[in-house]
Amino acid sequence: MDEKTPHPDPPSEATRRGFFRVAIGILGGCIGLVLGIPLVGSLVGPAFRKKVPRWARVAPVESLPLGQPAVLSFTDQSSEGYLRETVVRNVWAVKRSADEVTVFSPICTHLGCRYDWEPNSGHFLCPCHGSLFGLDGKALAGPAPRPLDTLPVKIENGELFVEWERYELGISRKIPV
Amino acid sequence: MPDRILRWVDERFPLTAMIRGALDEEIPGGSRHAYALGSAILFVFVLQMITGVWQLFYYVPSVDHAYDSVNFLRTEVPFGWLIHSLHYWGANAMIVLVGLHIARVFIYGAYKAPRELTWLAGVVLLLVTAGLVFTGAPLPWDEPGYWAAEVGTSIAGTVPLVGNAVKRLLRGGDVMGPLALSRMFVLHVAILPAILLGFLAIHLVAFRAFGSVGPWEESKRNSTGEFWPDQAFKDTVVAVFLLLLLVFLCVYAPPPVAGPADPLDTSYIPKPEWNFLFLYETLKFLPGRLEPLGTMGIPLAGILILVLLPFLDRSPERNPLRRRFAMAGGVAWVGFIVTFTVIGYLSHPGGVGGTTGPPPSGSSASLSPSAREGSRLFGSLGCNGCHSINGKGGAVGPDLSDEPRRGHSRAWLAAQIVNPKSHNPNTIMPPYPTLGDTQLNQIVDYLSSLGAAAPPAGGASTNTPPAEEKPAPSARPAPRATVPLSVPAPPNAGLAPTNPSLPATAVHGAGPLSGSTGQGPPGPAASVIGSVEHGAKLFRLYCTSCHGPDGKGGVSNPGAEGGTIPALDPIRRKFFSRDPGEFATNIDRVLQHGAIPKGPLPEKSMLTFGTTHSLSQEEISDLEAYILSLNGVERAELKHPGIPPRTWFLVVIAVFALAVGGLVGVRALRFR
Repeated sequence: MDEKTPHPDPPSEATRRGFFRVAIGILGGCIGLVLGIPLVGSLVGPAFRKKVPRWARVAPVESLPLGQPAVLSFTDQSSEGYLRETVVRNVWAVKRSADEVTVFSPICTHLGCRYDWEPNSGHFLCPCHGSLFGLDGKALAGPAPRPLDTLPVKIENGELFVEWERYELGISRKIPV
Repeated sequence: MPDRILRWVDERFPLTAMIRGALDEEIPGGSRHAYALGSAILFVFVLQMITGVWQLFYYVPSVDHAYDSVNFLRTEVPFGWLIHSLHYWGANAMIVLVGLHIARVFIYGAYKAPRELTWLAGVVLLLVTAGLVFTGAPLPWDEPGYWAAEVGTSIAGTVPLVGNAVKRLLRGGDVMGPLALSRMFVLHVAILPAILLGFLAIHLVAFRAFGSVGPWEESKRNSTGEFWPDQAFKDTVVAVFLLLLLVFLCVYAPPPVAGPADPLDTSYIPKPEWNFLFLYETLKFLPGRLEPLGTMGIPLAGILILVLLPFLDRSPERNPLRRRFAMAGGVAWVGFIVTFTVIGYLSHPGGVGGTTGPPPSGSSASLSPSAREGSRLFGSLGCNGCHSINGKGGAVGPDLSDEPRRGHSRAWLAAQIVNPKSHNPNTIMPPYPTLGDTQLNQIVDYLSSLGAAAPPAGGASTNTPPAEEKPAPSARPAPRATVPLSVPAPPNAGLAPTNPSLPATAVHGAGPLSGSTGQGPPGPAASVIGSVEHGAKLFRLYCTSCHGPDGKGGVSNPGAEGGTIPALDPIRRKFFSRDPGEFATNIDRVLQHGAIPKGPLPEKSMLTFGTTHSLSQEEISDLEAYILSLNGVERAELKHPGIPPRTWFLVVIAVFALAVGGLVGVRALRFR
């Protein structure tokens, strides 16, 4: 027998140590749980986050000519993760009434060229391949597979807001990129 | 099935034997909570590794993106606030626990033979932990972190002979810039953790080889306990309490959003974190040639004592009451650190932050009435933002404490104020072309009165050029000069002198149009989460004279619609938004591009802080954070917290309460 007290292993001691093992397991599991949920959540959350509409203030509606196209420039703040940049964008706007404005993406739906307004003919004309669009955006001639892309708009306190969006090119359906 | 898998593994790798080797240990005198400190350090270290690696999913080690990426993690990643804060508080906990662990080992005499190597490995672990704290601080590239590294590497530079080389090695060059950040990053996430893991292995293997030292009284060492499960249970309980404490601190005392690093910021006064405060305070007592004694001598002496301790104190006696010399030394050392830490904590370093008035120039009573008015103008025009007088003021421009000694004539001074480029085409000092003759004379009177021994320069003009502005020690250099807000229009620095009697619109040139507000796109500051605290200091320095204390308004602006300058608390409705990003963008346009109030002839107009580089983008972001806070909007609002912090704390408490309740039940039913 060692000078030191041998391992006491009466039933009560075995019970106590058994309880310790269970307690270590349960408490350890809880530690894993309260750390695991945030760790998993931090990776899963951003990956499946829905896109939030980002409205950019473009111009006062009253400044737009009625029934005539106007090219408008505005600053849009694009955001991707921690990267944010301010971009100047152009759109075509046609004011239908005091509370209705149609805003077209300036990108031709054929291959992405920038089209222009032809005041003489009263059409939008793409200089690259000759696609022709009406004031309502309909494709009238040329290779464009679909009408001009309209952008989401809203009017608040007399101000026109636009949500910038890009769409797939060269196909008949309007699908966001 | 698990048994079969374990057997299969054991036939190919001694897994069970290794686990037994790690867990089967006799503890003389039985298990104690006091012995849990080592395990607690290990627990926090693992926590640091996990939260550190997780931050790397979002962190970008570049001066352009580090700050934004950390704030993106904190505000827009679910539980990012918790992961970042756990790492922050975990680092603090590591230092406390390591200190307590060393103290316990010292008191128990556990460094003595044959455990010298365990002790020495522990000393290395202490130093590596300090290194991790030091190299981790600048990684967010915020104000405290940047300045901690700036000062810390400068301290390394004070070491005789090799100091400059060490400093350059740490920084990767002359200045704290991108290369320095990369070096700190690699040291923090790769090299130091690898060293720590290596010495941790040595520490643990050496500890297991000789076991726990146990109580110093022989009588208490007769009985023994087991590490598994007795001590492991106590270690687990301590880990649970530590985790609860850390989560509590993360929720109720999160690390502050301290504003982006701004190397040109003269209003920020660096003060180290609590863990380096004792050294900071010590240096105040060792000025001049004695400085290296404080920067290197004392830390080196402390390390040497720790390293040599087991070889100096070789007596087998472990009872602290019989080791009076060693204990007295230990208590003195701890007393020194605690005392100087407390003194450092209570000290308030002086500086220009928060001051709006002119710096003192001796007794104001001794100034002539004209000079006294000039002194007031010097403050209200914001000259002290760039120029220091008697130790107070900015450091961008020359110190003017002894201006009369420079030999500048009154005419030279007047020309320098009205059109600084007439003396130096490259100066960044803004012109003050619209000051009236009386005001100009008052400022010149004030400058001529500075310095007790020197008379004001007489009428003879000299060609002595003014001292040039300090070169910007910046990683992101941006020319900067402080432009006062309360000057009459025009707002654009660099315009030719014009007739101050003309209306604002007539002299603005490329400036904003009358009645315009923020013509132009928002600048980079709009998307940066600034510091409310620092923004408040900047506001007092640059904005209070026009927008009133705390932005309450009430300052008159003859000729403007309404006759007063708008209050910022509350701000006009067209700027306000509950969304902090939108709110910041709205006011950012004004801060960047200025604005001219509506009205027939506004005397004062909002200056173009951004486009003229009068304020850095970092400072503008701080100002925006403060203005948002005045209107009850938090710039660093958690957009995607996962679960809101306080709710999460309750969840954590509930989880462990359930666990304890379950254990009580299990014990009652199964282990009676």
